[in-house]
Amino acid sequence: MGRIQLHDIRKSFGAIDVLKGIDLTIDEGELVVFVGPSGCGKSTLLRMIAGLDKPTFGRIEIDGTDVTARSAADRGLAMVFQSYALYPHMTVRANMAFGLQNTNMPKAEIDTRIGEAARMLEIEPLLERRPGQLSGGQRQRVAIGRAIVRRPTAFLLDEPLSNLDAELRVSMRAELSALHDRLGATMIHVTHDQVEAMTMADRIVVLRAGKVEQVDTPLNLFNRPANLFVAGFIGAPGMNLWAGQAKGVSVQLDSGALLPLPLGVRVPDGPVTLGIRPQHLRPEVGGPIRAEVRLIEALGPESVVHADMGAGGGLLAVLPGQPDLGRGAVIELGYEPQFVHVFGSDGQRLA
Amino acid sequence: MTGVKGMLGAVVTAPLGWLARLLDAPLRLWQRVAGQGGMVAFFLLPNMAIFTIFVLLPLVINIAYSMTTGAALFLPDRTYVGMGQYERLLRCTDYTNLMTCQEDQFWIALRNTGTFVVLQVSLLIVAATITALILNRALRALSFWRAVFFFPVLLSPVVVGLIWRWILDRNGVLNAALVGVGMDPVNWLLERNYAFSAAIGVTIWAQLGFFALILLAGLQAIPRDLYEAAEMDGTKPARVFWRITLPLLMPNMLVVIVLALIRAVQVFDEAYVLTGGGPGTATLFLTQYIYEVGFASLLKNPGLAAAASILMGGVLIVLTLLQLALGKRNERKGKLK
Amino acid sequence: MSRAMAFLTRRKGGDAWDWTDVFTFIWLGSAVFIMFGPALWLVLSSFKSPAQLSEFPPTLLPYEAQTVAVEGYDRLLPLFSVSDDDGTRTLAEVRRVGTVAQMVDPANPAEVQRINIANRTPVREVGFSWGNYLDPFLRFDFLNYTKNSIFVTGVATLITLLTNSMAAFALSKYEFRGRGFVVVLIIATLMIPLSVILVPLYSIVAGVGLINSLWGVILPTVATPTGVFLLRQYMLTIPDELLEAARMDHASEWQIYWRIVLPLTAPALAVLAIFSVVWRWNDFLWPLIVLSRQEVYTLQVGLNAYAGELNVQWHYLLAMTVITMIPVVLVFIFLQRFITAGIAGTGLK
Repeated sequence: MGRIQLHDIRKSFGAIDVLKGIDLTIDEGELVVFVGPSGCGKSTLLRMIAGLDKPTFGRIEIDGTDVTARSAADRGLAMVFQSYALYPHMTVRANMAFGLQNTNMPKAEIDTRIGEAARMLEIEPLLERRPGQLSGGQRQRVAIGRAIVRRPTAFLLDEPLSNLDAELRVSMRAELSALHDRLGATMIHVTHDQVEAMTMADRIVVLRAGKVEQVDTPLNLFNRPANLFVAGFIGAPGMNLWAGQAKGVSVQLDSGALLPLPLGVRVPDGPVTLGIRPQHLRPEVGGPIRAEVRLIEALGPESVVHADMGAGGGLLAVLPGQPDLGRGAVIELGYEPQFVHVFGSDGQRLA
Repeated sequence: MTGVKGMLGAVVTAPLGWLARLLDAPLRLWQRVAGQGGMVAFFLLPNMAIFTIFVLLPLVINIAYSMTTGAALFLPDRTYVGMGQYERLLRCTDYTNLMTCQEDQFWIALRNTGTFVVLQVSLLIVAATITALILNRALRALSFWRAVFFFPVLLSPVVVGLIWRWILDRNGVLNAALVGVGMDPVNWLLERNYAFSAAIGVTIWAQLGFFALILLAGLQAIPRDLYEAAEMDGTKPARVFWRITLPLLMPNMLVVIVLALIRAVQVFDEAYVLTGGGPGTATLFLTQYIYEVGFASLLKNPGLAAAASILMGGVLIVLTLLQLALGKRNERKGKLK
Repeated sequence: MSRAMAFLTRRKGGDAWDWTDVFTFIWLGSAVFIMFGPALWLVLSSFKSPAQLSEFPPTLLPYEAQTVAVEGYDRLLPLFSVSDDDGTRTLAEVRRVGTVAQMVDPANPAEVQRINIANRTPVREVGFSWGNYLDPFLRFDFLNYTKNSIFVTGVATLITLLTNSMAAFALSKYEFRGRGFVVVLIIATLMIPLSVILVPLYSIVAGVGLINSLWGVILPTVATPTGVFLLRQYMLTIPDELLEAARMDHASEWQIYWRIVLPLTAPALAVLAIFSVVWRWNDFLWPLIVLSRQEVYTLQVGLNAYAGELNVQWHYLLAMTVITMIPVVLVFIFLQRFITAGIAGTGLK
C-alpha cells in the first residue's frame, strides 16, 4: 500500500508551463522529499498528487490504480499544509474527527484513533482547545495528528516546518523522521530547505523549472550530483564551480590554475566546468590552487575562507580549526582527486 | 462582547445547520453527478433566481413599461405610445411658469426635490462634520455620545414621522414651549415654508448619526503623529484643520456627500408620514409623485410613473457611478499606503 | 452620566476655556436634548389619557384623575380640589349642570354642595393609561399587524442569510466562467433603489399572485446585493487552504459550506442579520404598495393607515408607535457596537 507513480505529468497555467513532464515512482513506505528553489513546481506537483489540482496532461497511479480523474477526497491521502489549515472554529479533537466523521466512521472507532494519535504526538492535554490557543509547534503536531488518524495511503507534507522557528524546526525534523519509521507509511515531503531534505529523505527529488533534475539518495546527490544545478544546489556552502578547458589529464581554469583530473578519469578535450566542494579543499604548501584571502568567517570549529584566484575566479574553502589568516594573505590549497566533479558544456556530469 | 457574538453566531447558524444536515445526502449525490460546476450552480441558484426576477427583470421592463399607456397592469396588455409619457412629463407651454406644464405635479415634485436635496444635504454634511469633529475630540464616554447621535438612525421612518408630527402638532410640545417664552404658536405642518423646513429638519435628525459615524471613522484613521508633528511645528489649529484634517478626511467626505445625495433624491417615508406631501403640494417629492401616479391616485397611470422613475433612476445611476468611482479611487489610495 | 459630565467639563488643555470647549459643550448638550428628547416625549405622551393629550400646554408626566367610592353611589366619583369662600377642601363630583357641579364630601355623603366649576381643579396623581397599549391589541388589528411584521422580518432575514451566504460562497471560493460578470452585476445594482422599479416590480409581484401576501413583501427584498457583497468580502479573507484541507478530509462541497465557511463567516452574518432585521422591520413604501387589505398590514403600514384617519386617536397611535420602536431600540442597546462597527467599516445602511 502506498506506491505512487507519476507518468509524464504536465501542468500549464495559461501559456506558462509549470510542470514539463514528470515521471516518478515512489515506493511503498518511502520518505521522498521534493526539493528545489521557489517556483520550481514542487508544491504544484504535490497538489496534483493530492488531487487538489488536475494535471493538464499525464497519469497518476496509486497502487496501480489510475486516480487522475478522482477527487481529492477519494484518493485516500492525507495532507499537512504549510499554514496547517486547522479549522479555527473547531477544537483540536473536532479537527481530528472531522475527516473521520465524513466517512461515517463509528464514534468509538474515531475516539480510539484520536486517542492513539494524541498519545503518539503528546497532544492529549490540548484536545479540547482551539487552534488559536496553541503555539506554532503544537499546531504543527495537531496538523500531523489530523493526518495520522485518517490512516492514509500516503502522507503529503507541504513545507510543514517552514513556519517554525529554527530550533523547533530541528527537533520537529527528527520527530517527523521517527514518526515515519514508526508508521512505515509513504510520505512525500516538500521543502525548499536542502538541510531538511538531506536529513529526512530516503530519496530526494530535485526539481527545477518544472523538471526533475535528479532523483537519488541524499548521499548520492551529495557525492555524485548529476548536473551543475544539483551540484550547486545541494551542500552548504555551495560547491566551487570553475569554468575551464580540459586538456588530457588536467583542466586549465579560466582563472589560470592548472588542476589535475583524478586518476583514470578521461574527459574529451574542450570547455568543462570543474567542481570541488569547499569542505574538500585543504591547505597544501605548493598545492595547485593559489588564492588571495578576501574574508574569513570564523565559526569556531571551522572557518569559511572567501578567496580570489585572480581573473574573477572566486573560491570558498571550509578549513578546519581557526587558521591564522588575514585579509590579503595568499593561501595554497590542494584536494584529493576523487573529490573532483567534472561537468560538460551542457551542464551534465562527465566524471 | 464575544459572548453576545458567539450567541448570535449560534442563533444564526443553528437553524441553517439543521437544514444543512437534511440536504447533505442528496447534495453529495448531486455533486457526484454534476461535479463542482453543478455545485456552483446550486449555490448561486436561489439568490440569482430571486435577484433576476425581482431586481433585474423589473429594471429591464421598466423601460418598456414607460413607453406604454393605459390602466392594464401587465406589459403585454398595454398600449405602446413610444416617448409619449416622457413628452407628457416634460412638456410645458411656458417653462418659466410651472402651472402651464401638462404634468405640473411632476414639475412641482421636481422643484421641491431639487430644493430639498440642496438644502438638506448641505446642512446635513455641515452638521455631521461638526459632530464628527467633536466626537473625535472625545476620548471618554465616546460610545455614549455616539449612541446619542446614532440612536434615531435605526428608527423606522414611520416612527420618526409620527414622533415629529406629535411634537410639531398645533397643540404640540414645541408650540407649548414657544408660548412659554412668550411667542406666538406656529402651525408647523400646515404652513408651506414651515412644513418644508420640518421635512428637512426631521430627515437630518434621522440621518445625522449615520453620516457622522462614517466621518468619525475617517477622522480616527488619520494618524495621530501627523497632529503631533503639526504641534511641534507650532501650526495654528485652524490651519491644522484646513491643511491636515480636511484633506485626509476627503475620501470619506466624498462618499458621505454622494450617499447623502442618493438618499435625498429618493426622500419619501419620513416626509410622507409627517406631512403627506402637504400643505397642498408644498412637500410633494418625486418618490411620492411616482407612488401617487402609479398606485394611489384615482387616475392611475403606471406608464407615467415608470417614465418618471426612469428619469429619477438616471440621476441616481450617475450618483452611484460617482460613488463607485470614488470607492475605487479610495481603494487604490489605500493600497498605495 | 458622571462620565459624560467628566467629558463635558474636560477642556482642550491649559486653564482657559477655549471657544471650541464652549462650542463642544453647547453642541453635545443640545444633542442630548434634541436627539433623545423627542423619543422620550413620545414615550411619556403614550401613557396619557385622551383628555390629557388635548391639554395645552401639556404636562410633562402622565396623570390620572383620582376617584373615590362614596356611600350611596354605584360608580366611582372623580375627586376635585375646591377652594372658595368656605376654604379649601377635597370633594367628589356627583353630576355637573352647566357651570355648576353638585359635589359631596366623601366623609359626609348625605350633604350635596353646589360648586362653581371655576373654583375647582381635578385631583390628579402620576398614573399611566395602560389602556392605550392594551386596547389596540384587544379591539383593533394591531396584534395581527405585529404578527405580520414579525413574520416578515424573521422569514426575510433567514432567507437573506441563507441565499446571500450561498451566493457569496460560490462567488468567493470557486473559479468559473462568468464569475466576474455576476460580481459586477451585483455591485452595479448595489444602489438601485426600490423607488426606481416600483411599477414593474408591482406588475411582476402581481403576475406571480403575491399581491396582498406577505411573501410579496418578503421576496423582492431578500436577494440584497448588499448582503452578497458584504459576505463575499468577508469570505475572501478565509484561506483557501482550509477548504482544501476539508476536501482532503472527505468533506463534500456542501459540507465545506456549512461546516467550515459558514461558521467562520459568523461575524459578518451577525452584522447582516442585525441590519436585515432593522431593514425589514422598518420597511414602509413597498409593503404600503403591496398590502392593501387590513389583515395583511405590517406594523408600519398599519400605523400609517391609523395616522391617516380623519380623527386621529393619538393616544392609541402614540402607544403603537412606541411598540413599533421597541425591537429596534433593543437591537440598538444590545448591539450598538456591532452596528457602528458595521457602518464604519462598510457604509452599510
